[in-house]
Amino acid sequence: MSAAKIISAILAIVLAALLPTIWPNPYYIHLMVVIGIYAILLLGLDIVVGYVGEVSLGHAALFGIGAYTVGVLNWQFGAHFLLTIPASIAVTALFGAILALPALRVNGPYLAMVTLAFGTIIQILINEMTFVTNGPLGLKIRKPVFFDYHVTGTDYYYIVLVALVATLFVVQRILKSHLGRAFEALHDSPIASDCMGVSVYGYKVYAFVLSAAIAGLAGGLFTYSEEYISPNTYNFELTILFLLAVIMGGRKTRSGSVLGAIIIVMLPNVLSDIELFRKIATGIAVVTVAYSVYALATRQRTLKQVALPVLATIALAVSGYMMDNITDHRLTIFGAMILFVVYYLPNGLMGFLRSIVQKYRPQWIHRHEVILEHGDKHHVWSVPDHPVTARGHLLEARNITMQFGGLKALNEVNLDIAKGSVHGLIGPNGSGKSTMMNVLTGIYKPAAGEIEFNRKHITGATPSSIAGEGIARTFQNVQLFGEMTAIENVLVGLHHTFKHSLIDVVFHTPRCKKEKNAAYLRAASLLQFVGLADLANEEARNLPYGKQRLLEIARALALNPSLLLLDEPAAGLTAPDIKELMAMINKVRGHGITVILIEHHMDVVMSICDKVTVLDFGQKIAEGTPAQVQSDEKVIEAYLGGSAAA
Amino acid sequence: MLQIQNLHAGYGKVEVLHGISVEVPQGKVVTLIGSNGAGKTTTMRSVSGMIRPMSGNITLNGKNITGLASNKITRAGLAHSPEGRRVFSTLSVTDNLLLGAFPRLTFGRERGDVQGDLKRVFDLFPRLKEREAQLAGTLSGGEQQMLAMGRALMLNPDVLLLDEPSMGLAPLLVKEVFRIIRELKARGITMLLVEQFAAAALDVADYGYVLENGRISVHGPAEQLKNDPAVKAAYLGAAH
Amino acid sequence: MEIFAQLILSGIALGMIYGLIAFGYQLTFATSGTLNFGQGEALMLGAMVGLTLVGHMNYWLMIPLVLVFGALQGVLVERLGVLPALKTKSEFGWIMTTISLAIIFKNVAENVWGHDDVTFPSPLPTAPLQFFGLRVLPMEILVVAGALAVMLAVEIFNRKSIYGKAVVATSNDRDAAGLMGINTGMVITFSYALSSMTAAFAGVLVAPLTLTGATMGAVLGLKAFAVAIIGGLNSGMGVIVGGLILGIAETTTGYYISTGYKDVPGLLLLLLVLAIKPAGMFGKSVIKKV
Repeated sequence: MSAAKIISAILAIVLAALLPTIWPNPYYIHLMVVIGIYAILLLGLDIVVGYVGEVSLGHAALFGIGAYTVGVLNWQFGAHFLLTIPASIAVTALFGAILALPALRVNGPYLAMVTLAFGTIIQILINEMTFVTNGPLGLKIRKPVFFDYHVTGTDYYYIVLVALVATLFVVQRILKSHLGRAFEALHDSPIASDCMGVSVYGYKVYAFVLSAAIAGLAGGLFTYSEEYISPNTYNFELTILFLLAVIMGGRKTRSGSVLGAIIIVMLPNVLSDIELFRKIATGIAVVTVAYSVYALATRQRTLKQVALPVLATIALAVSGYMMDNITDHRLTIFGAMILFVVYYLPNGLMGFLRSIVQKYRPQWIHRHEVILEHGDKHHVWSVPDHPVTARGHLLEARNITMQFGGLKALNEVNLDIAKGSVHGLIGPNGSGKSTMMNVLTGIYKPAAGEIEFNRKHITGATPSSIAGEGIARTFQNVQLFGEMTAIENVLVGLHHTFKHSLIDVVFHTPRCKKEKNAAYLRAASLLQFVGLADLANEEARNLPYGKQRLLEIARALALNPSLLLLDEPAAGLTAPDIKELMAMINKVRGHGITVILIEHHMDVVMSICDKVTVLDFGQKIAEGTPAQVQSDEKVIEAYLGGSAAA
Repeated sequence: MLQIQNLHAGYGKVEVLHGISVEVPQGKVVTLIGSNGAGKTTTMRSVSGMIRPMSGNITLNGKNITGLASNKITRAGLAHSPEGRRVFSTLSVTDNLLLGAFPRLTFGRERGDVQGDLKRVFDLFPRLKEREAQLAGTLSGGEQQMLAMGRALMLNPDVLLLDEPSMGLAPLLVKEVFRIIRELKARGITMLLVEQFAAAALDVADYGYVLENGRISVHGPAEQLKNDPAVKAAYLGAAH
Repeated sequence: MEIFAQLILSGIALGMIYGLIAFGYQLTFATSGTLNFGQGEALMLGAMVGLTLVGHMNYWLMIPLVLVFGALQGVLVERLGVLPALKTKSEFGWIMTTISLAIIFKNVAENVWGHDDVTFPSPLPTAPLQFFGLRVLPMEILVVAGALAVMLAVEIFNRKSIYGKAVVATSNDRDAAGLMGINTGMVITFSYALSSMTAAFAGVLVAPLTLTGATMGAVLGLKAFAVAIIGGLNSGMGVIVGGLILGIAETTTGYYISTGYKDVPGLLLLLLVLAIKPAGMFGKSVIKKV
């Protein structure tokens, strides 16, 4: 974190601590408590929605589980605050794990529906299990007592503030660590994550559990704040409100979560005052119209682009004067706000502010941690986690068959890769080369056949465990983590070097620092090796195509592989770049790493491969030295069609 | 009939075609050959509107079709038998063929004798006639290829685009496919043929273009290209 | 035993309603790979509009008007919520927009028709018919017949008409369908219209059997999604079987355990199926090409 950020964070905390003295009205203090509690929950929700990129409609239920854990423990056993709050965190985390189980198999809309079903079930259970929860009647709880001192509303504000700051701190540390990178990576490209040894399943569950634990904390605090809980609080409307807050405040930012919490807590207050609403709606309409006229006049926007927002804001203002009670329409307004945010503010208010600042003061904005480590030649290479013990052949694939529907993409293919060689795999389109890659890296499970790598059977193993064994790969259609910087991409490849735990992450233990520094140095060195040192802090999606391919190689090398699979590395490279690529591959081989190379640039294949295997119709039609293959009649026929059709 | 001028196209930010120009005259067969990844399929997709070209100009029958949606380009009279065949697997063979005539059966193109054309396609591909009620997904690769070609013919197109009709087919079927292309040529159908099998493609075509890394490296009458060493080099690399 | 048979019989009618809504999910999923999270609200709007119309006309005359309304509502959802998200290929986008449209519809319905559940006048006699000692409401028979009729009509349309074939072609391969001259954007809009129309029809079918109100849609939509998942999003027979399983599970749970828990088995089944066999019990799992 930069000095400016730290200072502004401290200022914000001091200001928040002074608020009750500036504004001693108990009603406002209570509102601020609720803002703090919601902000805690949103920080957790953002891990799932912002980082992992899944829509969770179950966070109101998780919040409710936290609240009810406190409520029930207090009601049934009279348990103390210091016991109930950790219990609510633990219990909710457990439910988070249960909720995440289906997430092992599904994502996107399915997962959204799963979380919705989960939320509905929890609400039913709270309502029906009267013997535990007192059902629809709800539970009454008093604020905690410490040594006979009854905590007041203002005291409680400080308790929540401490909890919020602590949560902010922990969440920030986690998201800036290798764990946070893993969450982001699995959202950007699940396949590449798995192939970098970052198990998609494992980290999704991890994210859900973390997020749930934080929701549990928020829920527990909420019980003591409200002093009364009932099942209907934790309904679908609250879930929608939470989602609105996260996307409106701005995903993937801590400030966005706090801002979102302020908005959703203050909004109902604004909406209960029709006069205030009319003024605000009119103001928004005036601003929108003025901006649109300006944008039209300066030709930044077309009439078509501005028509909808202008009409919508005017309609909003007019409807304000037509309605006499706005509270009844609040769901419509929430819905409209979500629509507006999804279409016009995809990065939320913080993202919008950031883009404005970026325009005028780009040096103030760093979306990512800037890593200025300088690489060197010594730290490019490292020993594999599993040293090569095989002799002769590093990899042996026996009778691999892979079927898609009726089509045999691979038909009993044998492949022996000699240790330390560069092995070319060529063939016409659709001949099964990429399928072979996917079988070797565990993305496809072959219908038949066996693969032995480094004297270990890896047939049917998961991609992340195969990656762990020391097989790294690049992808034909680039699979980078687009929203992460170049160096962060390489750091995901180095994920296996981070052996420290969550506790180490939160407290920045010496072990954590040591591994982090080593990884930064290594990542910078790898970028230097592929010639991307200058672009280390550039987002991967902004790199030119050829550079993206080189970045994939650096990321793959970060795994310390003993076998590197390159899928069309020269595609999109210019002639001088290709020369450098060939030099690079030779250096990789020089360090004892075996390479399998799929490539269409025959010049590349012919000049650096020790051995070439040619596939056609999923079958091996030739194998040998480049010269042998090049003059093989079958190969020429496969490529040129020869006289087969004549 | 079909003119492509200075076409730039690609996927996302990645440019695959760096300005190519191809001309397909009325009644002629023009072939586009080149190795994997050279940009042949990208060219076809840009022409038929499956992807939006970045820049350049494509005209069909004098009408500018650059950047139009594929359904509009089809209605303008261009049929495309795509790479990978892309038959509708849960529909019967006959239904697949009828969908090829969709603009004729609905609007946008002269109806003509659809049933008669269906019969003519079945005459051209007797194998399809035998399997007319079968679901397309259950056909073999070769039969699916014939279905894809037949389906494109059902439009009565002004220009027919054939993308890799021989891909993934056994040698005997490749022969059969080329026999049919020759037959269509004899009927005077204007065709743009993309092929990996250069020799066979040049045998049937009138004119050829060799695509290398998104640029036209050589072009000329098919007869002339057949003996051009540059063509072989484009596939297998220069000898070492 | 007799009670159990009676429960099964009542479960069938309920199950067919779930099946019909689930069928609506399938329609849009097939053509565009998207789902309307407001499918339950489409049903609710159909029922509410039907209720208003039924005050002025005969039940049978009202149905075509409700169908038209449903279709228009579907078009609105597609244009406002789905189309822009499809253009930007944003899954997050259409999930969020269809959810927000759903809560807007629900809120509007609350403000137009009030918060209270009301009864929908039954067009058929409310006295049950007796078959072998089992009681069946005439309305229940109508529900089963109506649901089957809709599915059959769509199936015939898809098989016999060239436009129906165009819809199937679009679900098979959207790009290839475009090459046939099919305007696939229109097909997707159409599938949304059809899907919401089905839901609205389900609404006026189920309304006389239950209470009608602005909140009736949410849980129905969710449980119908469970049915769509149990049956598989690409299996026509699946939704009928899935609907029946759920309907019967629900009436038996309601009787033997407690009506408070009647929604639980469906939702649990949804969680279990997604955790174990996401393609559904009747769906085919496909190997995703990379």
